[in-house]
Amino acid sequence: MFDAVLLFREALYGALVIGLACSVLGVYVVLRRIVFVGAALAELSSAGIALALWLAGRGWMLGLATHPIALALILTIAGVLFFGAGGGRGKIPPDATIGVTYAVAAAMGIILISKAKTGEAHDIFLQGNILGITRADTMVLIAVAVPVLVVHALFYKEFLFVSFDRETARTLGYRVNFWNLLLYLTLGLVIAFAMQFAGVMLVFNFLVLPAVTGLLISRSMTGTFFWSILSALLAALIGFSLSVPFDLPSGPAIIAVSGALAALAFLVRLAQRR
Amino acid sequence: MAELVSFDHATLGYGRRVILSDLTFAIPEGDFLGMVGPNGAGKTTILRAILRTLKPLAGTVTHRPGIRFGYVPQRDQVDYNFPLTVIDVVMMGRYDRIGLARRPRAIDRQLACTALEHVGILELADQPLSALSGGQKQRTLIARALVGQPNVLVLDEPTNGMDLVATTQILGLVRELHERDKLTVLMVSHALNEVANYVERIALVVNGGFRIGAVDDIMTVPVLSEMYRIPVDVDNLNGHRVVVARRDGQTLPVSDV
Repeated sequence: MFDAVLLFREALYGALVIGLACSVLGVYVVLRRIVFVGAALAELSSAGIALALWLAGRGWMLGLATHPIALALILTIAGVLFFGAGGGRGKIPPDATIGVTYAVAAAMGIILISKAKTGEAHDIFLQGNILGITRADTMVLIAVAVPVLVVHALFYKEFLFVSFDRETARTLGYRVNFWNLLLYLTLGLVIAFAMQFAGVMLVFNFLVLPAVTGLLISRSMTGTFFWSILSALLAALIGFSLSVPFDLPSGPAIIAVSGALAALAFLVRLAQRR
Repeated sequence: MAELVSFDHATLGYGRRVILSDLTFAIPEGDFLGMVGPNGAGKTTILRAILRTLKPLAGTVTHRPGIRFGYVPQRDQVDYNFPLTVIDVVMMGRYDRIGLARRPRAIDRQLACTALEHVGILELADQPLSALSGGQKQRTLIARALVGQPNVLVLDEPTNGMDLVATTQILGLVRELHERDKLTVLMVSHALNEVANYVERIALVVNGGFRIGAVDDIMTVPVLSEMYRIPVDVDNLNGHRVVVARRDGQTLPVSDV
């Protein structure tokens, strides 16, 4: 069993890096109630990948076939700027704007990939292909995740304040829009890169379930981050290790373990209350 | 007394939408001002101009150099799902003094404890914020405003949704902070009867109009009837002023009052 897992160890390392980065950002995603912004950004990223493959398939911008991340990043950053600047304020409720973005981006992704000449081979980008992660991919993921995590470690206090009480932060001279945008930017970067390998479903899982697990177990921010990270890493490790010998799809196996850990955390919470 | 904030023919609004125009008044040091008016009348707009988060469309709003506000937001503006303890929240009032990318030190915790002691809830320092009552949450937010050592304490609807006991305690605490610590206080509220018996001056913001003065000058039948455009009675009950709208009162055109 372990030999089989070791065979795909690069994939496991990649899943661990994605889980680590997403589980930190996920605490803000859940606390700020922007869970579906994460999903919409993931769909925008996948639509970017599909657009790159469609363009390359038509003989335009051939370089995009090997580097679809370029367009994925552009679309995701556009989404970051829109949502980070309070997109959807006005007559249309914000959750409806997120829903529209999610639905249109998902549909565009499917349409474009179905018409891309290279689509059959690449629709795996939309579904995610954890097992296909190479050493180079893991290094790219680390190169994105480390600066993002450093920014979050350095500016924890600032991100926390503008997330918890933006009006008071503003009265103390905080540039709330700047910090919001920076938070969304780190979110967009991680989603755009993680999406290439993990797919919408697994990225969404890592953004939500570990943070929920952390919030269920802990009563402090530090504890919430700790349990969120630990449960994401455990889910990646256990889910991946089970998926290889039992021939299960890796992403859903990891999500199933995340769900089990969240359920366990819920039971712990119930026990704490008694 | 020196003026901390002064409005000079200021017009306030958002984009092209004017909310209030030609405001001229000042908040002197040591003032205890209640800004009263119904929801949507423009109190928050004036508050933002005072707090420097809104620039006037015309005219000027001048702040004394070095002025520092201790802002107490409406309780429902704060998200109680965050897993924060009382002391975590109070220390936020020092975040700008701590500096960018730095963590709170022992002295910040000590000052936060002093602020909590000041508002009478030091024993709750390590309790989760979500576990507190409405009055305790309000005291926590007041402690957070005080820990930054402000010149002006600004409270936005501090008694909203509170029962009689909690309302009396919070207003008593605010008055105590003004009298004991000589703190300049600005309290925004829609509840005229509550505010009028605690503050020294009242600014009325009603129906696009603005009137400011000592409590005795504002709490009169002609002024209140004109501003609210409804006949009212102002009674004295055991030393407390009480404003009551007449039961058969019709809304009055401005010219009738």
